[in-house]
Amino acid sequence: MRKLISLLTAALLMAVIAIPASAQEEARIHLIHGIPDTPVDVVAGGDVVFADFQFGDTQDLSALAGETLVGLQVRLAGTETVAIDAGDTALPASGNYTIIAHLDEAGTPTLAVFENDTSSIAAGEGRLIVRHTAQAPAVDVKANGSVAFAGLTNPNSVQADLPVGTITAEVVPAGADEPVVIGPVDLPIADGSALIVYAVGSLDAGSVSALTESITGLGTAPTAVNTGNSPVGSTVPAWAAGLGALLLVGAVGSRRALVGARS
Amino acid sequence: MTRTLPLLMLVVLTACGGAAGQQSAATQVEPQFVTTTTTPVSVEESSDDAEESVSELASRTQELGSALLGPVRDPSPVPAALSIESLDVSFAPVVDVGVESNGEMEIPGASQVGWYRFGPSPGEAGSAVFAAHIAFNGRDGIFRDLDDIEVGDVIEISYDDGSTKRFRITETAQYSKDELPVDRVFAKDGPPELTLITCGGDFNRSLRSYSDNVVAYAAPIDA
Repeated sequence: MRKLISLLTAALLMAVIAIPASAQEEARIHLIHGIPDTPVDVVAGGDVVFADFQFGDTQDLSALAGETLVGLQVRLAGTETVAIDAGDTALPASGNYTIIAHLDEAGTPTLAVFENDTSSIAAGEGRLIVRHTAQAPAVDVKANGSVAFAGLTNPNSVQADLPVGTITAEVVPAGADEPVVIGPVDLPIADGSALIVYAVGSLDAGSVSALTESITGLGTAPTAVNTGNSPVGSTVPAWAAGLGALLLVGAVGSRRALVGARS
Repeated sequence: MTRTLPLLMLVVLTACGGAAGQQSAATQVEPQFVTTTTTPVSVEESSDDAEESVSELASRTQELGSALLGPVRDPSPVPAALSIESLDVSFAPVVDVGVESNGEMEIPGASQVGWYRFGPSPGEAGSAVFAAHIAFNGRDGIFRDLDDIEVGDVIEISYDDGSTKRFRITETAQYSKDELPVDRVFAKDGPPELTLITCGGDFNRSLRSYSDNVVAYAAPIDA
């Protein structure tokens, strides 16, 4: 019996260890509520999955990767009124995705699925991804006063890897300087992170704003740290004056020899 | 198939652990739920109201909070000087550094310490990296004696806003250069750590380079 228990314990440990290892390869799927002033219930398989899901909130659906949400519906909270009827919806089995409930260009609630670019980012840079998911025509996205992304339309995504720092962003109608639809807002560009900004809401209703999510861990660490190109003891630390005086002769001599050989 | 393994283990664990009260509970809940649960505690909690109309799908999703755009955090204080009393290093000037075009960490001259500005400021989550030469162009560097540092030694960082923080060495290590654990040294998250790094080992006169990296890890004293 004792042997059996220890065997089972070992098996259990292996199972526990195996879970995080495989989890790394699993999908990451987030669901964002991007329709202002519209609390909803999300229904799948005949059950309410999230009740009273609020604008701006995010749910992690990663554990459901690879499964089909049967009869997926978004209903106005506490009612039978269907705002979005998505039907049977297969979630990706792997990869990094964001699903956002938002308004299309005409103002009709809909779901959009975006695949997030998780390719590695060079050291010293962060990725800015901007997505138009608002009831609004084409827009330009300005960064620090200049147009960075022109003519972005719903439901599309643009991106760039930028040096770390803070950029001030504004969203304006395509080809125009005003009215400013969103902003100016400060966006942190962090090393190795992707910042995803969603323009959401309704231009007609005056409810356009921005939602964000971020993905970390995409950075590139320095490959090496080379902190020495000459032998130690060439100069004399104050504390080692006595010993150093002896070594100095040899060290300076060999350095001269090196210099002499090169010149 | 792999997903049923945790279920079997949970049931067995409960039986062996003598928690007889939860045994039937673990089998009552829907198998699909149990297979994705990694701790017996969750099984107990869920099984109490397994008959309620809580969606099985909902139980496997997680609320992540608001995506509303918030204000940008104030910039962190930037380290300006570094002192290590045990090594007679007193207010060594710190400069912020990035990466060279070849991908290596940028290192300042012999009389300065480089702080990796793309990582955290010391005291924040992750590893704040300070690198300095052991010797450069014939001059001893600030970290000339880093391999003498010992666990328990204290490092003080002075920041550009006038504040200071103290750290205590928790671990020292020497790695062959190609085995430097860059994922740990340059970690962006995890507990706050201060990492000092220089060169060591054998000096190769033709390559003008050392064989090893000497690394000392420290943790905040007043966390």
